Amino acid sequence: MKHYELAVKFYKEKGPRHDKSLWTIRQKRDKAIKEVPEWESLRVQASEIKDYVIENLQDLVDEFIKNAKNAGIEVVFAKDAQEHNQTVLKYLKEINAKKVVKSKSMLTEECGLNEFLEKNGIEVIDTDLGERIVQLRGEKPSHIVLPAIHTTKEDVAEILGEENTDPTYLTHKMRELLRKEFLSADAGLSGANFLVADKGWAVVCTNEGNADLGAVLPPLHIISVGVEKLVPNMNDLGVFLRMLARNATGQKITTYTSIFGKKENGKRVIVLVDNGRFERLNSEFKETLKCIRCSACLTTCPVFRRSGGHAYRYVIPGPIGSLLAPLSDKEKYKDLPFACTLCSSCEMVCPVKIPFSKQLVKMREYVTKENIALKLAEKSMHHPQAFKLFSTILRLTPKPVLKTALKEWSRYKALPKIPKKRFISL
Amino acid sequence: MKIALHVPCYINELNPEIARKTLLILRHFGLNVSVPKNQTCCGQPFINSGQPTTLPEQFNEIFKDYEYIVSPSSSCTSTIRSQELEVSKKMYELCEFLHDILQVRDIAKNYPKKIALHNSCHSIRHLLEGAPSELNIPYFNKVKKVLGGEIVEAKRDECCGFGGVFSVKEGFISYVMGRSKLDDLISTGGEVITGVDFSCLMHLKGIAEKDGDDIEIKHISEIIYESIFGEEK
Repeated sequence: MKHYELAVKFYKEKGPRHDKSLWTIRQKRDKAIKEVPEWESLRVQASEIKDYVIENLQDLVDEFIKNAKNAGIEVVFAKDAQEHNQTVLKYLKEINAKKVVKSKSMLTEECGLNEFLEKNGIEVIDTDLGERIVQLRGEKPSHIVLPAIHTTKEDVAEILGEENTDPTYLTHKMRELLRKEFLSADAGLSGANFLVADKGWAVVCTNEGNADLGAVLPPLHIISVGVEKLVPNMNDLGVFLRMLARNATGQKITTYTSIFGKKENGKRVIVLVDNGRFERLNSEFKETLKCIRCSACLTTCPVFRRSGGHAYRYVIPGPIGSLLAPLSDKEKYKDLPFACTLCSSCEMVCPVKIPFSKQLVKMREYVTKENIALKLAEKSMHHPQAFKLFSTILRLTPKPVLKTALKEWSRYKALPKIPKKRFISL
Repeated sequence: MKIALHVPCYINELNPEIARKTLLILRHFGLNVSVPKNQTCCGQPFINSGQPTTLPEQFNEIFKDYEYIVSPSSSCTSTIRSQELEVSKKMYELCEFLHDILQVRDIAKNYPKKIALHNSCHSIRHLLEGAPSELNIPYFNKVKKVLGGEIVEAKRDECCGFGGVFSVKEGFISYVMGRSKLDDLISTGGEVITGVDFSCLMHLKGIAEKDGDDIEIKHISEIIYESIFGEEK
């Protein structure tokens, strides 16, 4: 099914509530960023740091690998999703791991790690509350920071087999269940929000501390992270840490912001993943590599708020997903760049100033084959006489025929009345 | 001052009155305004449909000898402004031109009806004619300044859901977005809804008509025209 069919279905079930919850978060975000007088200059700074990162990506990768090794972390470079999954499996097999606790990582979703490990006999427990809810529901996250925003407290009670739908009660219940998993896991898996090149450290931001438990309790901690998450140094990291949570949910900073170097009670491995990122550097979509996955573009998108994340069918939904999905499968996701009104709200909230509207327009061109009717219309508009003929034909077309041609329009709204005379008439 | 009036193709076809009123407004300020006859379209519908087009270059050829090009549409203005053309910096949306160049203020101060202003995305997010709520910048709104008096705005400054090709591809979501925008605007107590883009207004008008809402919807040029010349009988 395409975006529009899934969106209609979602809206009729849950749209108004979803729109309202996410708009509330957008308002919290607006209030929080206004507490920072230099917000707009921080955006400029963040954008410039990211421009530097993508222009010098290979050098930063080399620097990071060298420094991480010096810091006592093993680093493996994986060229694609398959190599990433095999590497993770290899490290887990080494210690004969049966169960792993995972904290949220969009990269492992991109690589299909959960399914891969399950097939290889390893149990994966997602430990982020929202992520665990969607895992138990057999779904994928519908939002990159609020993975279960499409569900209700009743949905959560149902998957836990509880009658009590009180959110605090359900949260405690889930914590009780997850605590047992943390204590019996053989390894912890997580993503990373940033990698600091000149230190060789990984930075993980969560609100539940689940990544920290997974990083500290079991003897092995594996971090899966894309190469674009590099920042040059700690000063640059500061810029992003000030922006990430504030822009995502309106918090001042994430509750847990942890910097990981050498693991004291065991081994830490970083799997540094390319999976098409270096290739994208040379494309007209390289600015998508600046994304820090704060999710603000999803939350603010008026289409996303009404259609829900699953309508996008890709691991990363919303405006940034509409740019990333067609790069992974042009044919399958060619409708996504059109699931957008080009309102540019995403561009206004983007902390690294990705030029969304321009990129989405380019993406429309990238996924679209030349349309003969539109080509003719375009040609006619080069000649005022031809254009006039074109519009005269349109005027002479009987209304029922027009209505059929414009059925998506006339299904929901009255067609405009066509006046007899034009302003410029030849 | 050598000024050209840009007549957006869809306004020429669907509401030529907007072009006529815009011309008369500009002339009222003593400007010498030409209407190039050979103009057709800026290319926006093709660009937004992902189709190759050379219409912006043609637009440049037609308009490059004018000092200013004034358009009663922020989306056409933004299309041209986002291209690297000689005309890019010379093109202005009507209210932007009145505000920045002619320094017009409070022109509709005594307008007899309470005005609800729909801030279209191309106006506030692409052209920055007003402060979008996403940015940390002081509040301002050039369109309100030009009109003057008590102007009410929607609580959410989000998109009305038109989006050109979007309204054709995703009619339902486009409709629900337009519906919430209309509800928001009507709840302000405004008696007439206006905005700088006829496309958003046409979308809202279509919904209001089909759903049976009793609300007047007028393009900004009609409000300004009536403020200067009085309502046409």
